[in-house]
Amino acid sequence: MSEKTDFYNRLNLSPNASEKEIRRAYRQAVKKAHPDVNKRDGATRLFLDIQEAYKVLSDPKLKEAYDEGREPSEPSRVKTAVTYSRPALDRIDEPQVIYALLHIITTQKQQENPELPINVAIVLDTSTSMQGRRMQLLKAATREITRDLNEEDRFSIITFNDRANVLVPSYHERNESQVEAKINSLIAEGGTEIFQGLEAGFHEVRNVITQNYVNHIILITDGHTYGDEGNCLNLAEKAAELDIGISGLGIGNEWNDEFLDEVTTTAGGQSFYIEHPKEVKDFLKGTISNLKKSYSRNITLNINKSAGVNLLSVFRLLPEVTPLSPTAQIQLGSLKFDKPHQLLLELLVKPLPEDIETFLIADAHLEIKRKKSSFTIPLALNRPISSQEDEPVPPPDMLYRAISRLTLYRLQEKAQEDLKKGKPDVAYQRMINLASHLMSKGEDSLAKTAMEEADHIKSHHTFSPEGKKQIKYGTRRMMLPGNIPEDLS
Amino acid sequence: MITCKVCKNQEYIGAIFCSECGSALLAEHHLDDDTVVYPRREGDPNYMDIPHPEKSIPEGNIALYLPDYETYLDLPEENEFTLGRLIEGQVITPEVDLDPYDGFDNGISRLHATIRINPKKNSIQVLDLGSANGTRVNGYEIPANSEVPLTHEDILTLGKLHLKVIIPEKYRS
Repeated sequence: MSEKTDFYNRLNLSPNASEKEIRRAYRQAVKKAHPDVNKRDGATRLFLDIQEAYKVLSDPKLKEAYDEGREPSEPSRVKTAVTYSRPALDRIDEPQVIYALLHIITTQKQQENPELPINVAIVLDTSTSMQGRRMQLLKAATREITRDLNEEDRFSIITFNDRANVLVPSYHERNESQVEAKINSLIAEGGTEIFQGLEAGFHEVRNVITQNYVNHIILITDGHTYGDEGNCLNLAEKAAELDIGISGLGIGNEWNDEFLDEVTTTAGGQSFYIEHPKEVKDFLKGTISNLKKSYSRNITLNINKSAGVNLLSVFRLLPEVTPLSPTAQIQLGSLKFDKPHQLLLELLVKPLPEDIETFLIADAHLEIKRKKSSFTIPLALNRPISSQEDEPVPPPDMLYRAISRLTLYRLQEKAQEDLKKGKPDVAYQRMINLASHLMSKGEDSLAKTAMEEADHIKSHHTFSPEGKKQIKYGTRRMMLPGNIPEDLS
Repeated sequence: MITCKVCKNQEYIGAIFCSECGSALLAEHHLDDDTVVYPRREGDPNYMDIPHPEKSIPEGNIALYLPDYETYLDLPEENEFTLGRLIEGQVITPEVDLDPYDGFDNGISRLHATIRINPKKNSIQVLDLGSANGTRVNGYEIPANSEVPLTHEDILTLGKLHLKVIIPEKYRS
């Protein structure tokens, strides 16, 4: 709504002004605008506008009707923008790469909205490897967050090793001491079968699923699962269909990060890595508080590529850095208040037809589910085509930075591939390169880890388990962007 | 396709970094956080305060001084040249031959390192070419095949041979 047409703006008022304030503002505005006083052109128009605004705002019935109509529609509350790595595509007869950084943000503020209630299943790995301090800290963290949950929140606790056990079902009467006693009774034994736990958590969340809630599964594990990966992925897809998100936390060095990434991102979530079990508490608290700060439930990005376009990779940079699979339908998780989503797309464009000036790279739309409704926002990725053979224009700094970090993340991925292909010498050189790039970005301690891993690769032909995860999640963390473009902030 | 200057890998047009070695493909785009300055070793007499005769600095150009031989190295006019040791029958030869400075005893490889000078002469980089005995900047070993920027009075060590980097005042950043 433009400034001139809005009745509150005409009287220089905020939308929640009281009756008294409206009267006072009217008198002040009229004094200034009265044609007897104000001899400038348009003064009469201004005066009449003020009269019109006051007539409505001073009448409670008219005001209510006006306020209702004044609420902007939901789609206008989500803004999107795209930053490209190049101002134009080249008119050339070979394939070319272009990067697009997608920003999604809601103009709604958290402070004007209540926190959303959550429906969450906490799925805890209680296999033998969790014994001792890990278990103690996990119990303490779980106790603490169950205490922090609100009356309206729904939660369940599931433990699993070779089998799942619903420790606290989602239909339970709130009895803190009983819940705590149950948490305290946990013992670590048995193996790790993630599917067992995930499935039980899924059922608990689904039993009490509501669209006004944020529905989510939090999985905490420290081990490898064997043979049930496919089942886990199928379940994650089912969860995504029902808008149940999944976050995964890996403790220590034994768990399978590729697998946890795949399961969580399928359902719009992400995986996290912590070195020390004492960080579990911060992770749980952070995850739950983030869930409550959701503006929407799941967002889905649908990408309809034009012919001759390949989506090479997709990386979510905000709110959390996570690689996503470059498919036609991508789950982005829930949109947060006061926090943009940022998505980096890497696109390969095959030679273009000669007779066009602008090329539609992809016709995309965002599907946003909020409360009981959902709406879509169209998003076209297109670029003009330029035949000038100028020096390439450097990309905007923000994009350059993101791609430079992405390149480093890729180097560690490639080093892992080198090792799988039986080329430790190539992996070694790559890690040395990575170390020097990290050093040049001021990441001294990560650079040191990369050097140590290079040495480890030289002598053992593998990464060390802790170094592998430190470098993967370390280079991932570096991708977190520093600032938001001005037109969105 | 674009060819990566460092590792010769081929990338699509529009790519910004080499996916094989991570080097930037657009030479002119430097963000502040992308430069590394190797710290000086405080108080190390081997590296600090090696005097160089001001008078004989070649006019207006970047120069390399050999403290142990008390002389300046003859550098070609090009903005990119390779330092190494010239041996008979060698196919690819270095632009600057360090054999006269006890190249063999100092552990200089045939193709040891490349120096790159930005056309505006305001930055200079060294790239170790995978030499047998390595390259150091101010005593810190640098990784092979990665550009490392040099600043005025840095000590560049190829094998055991020390070179002092002299950048004319007007180009110093």
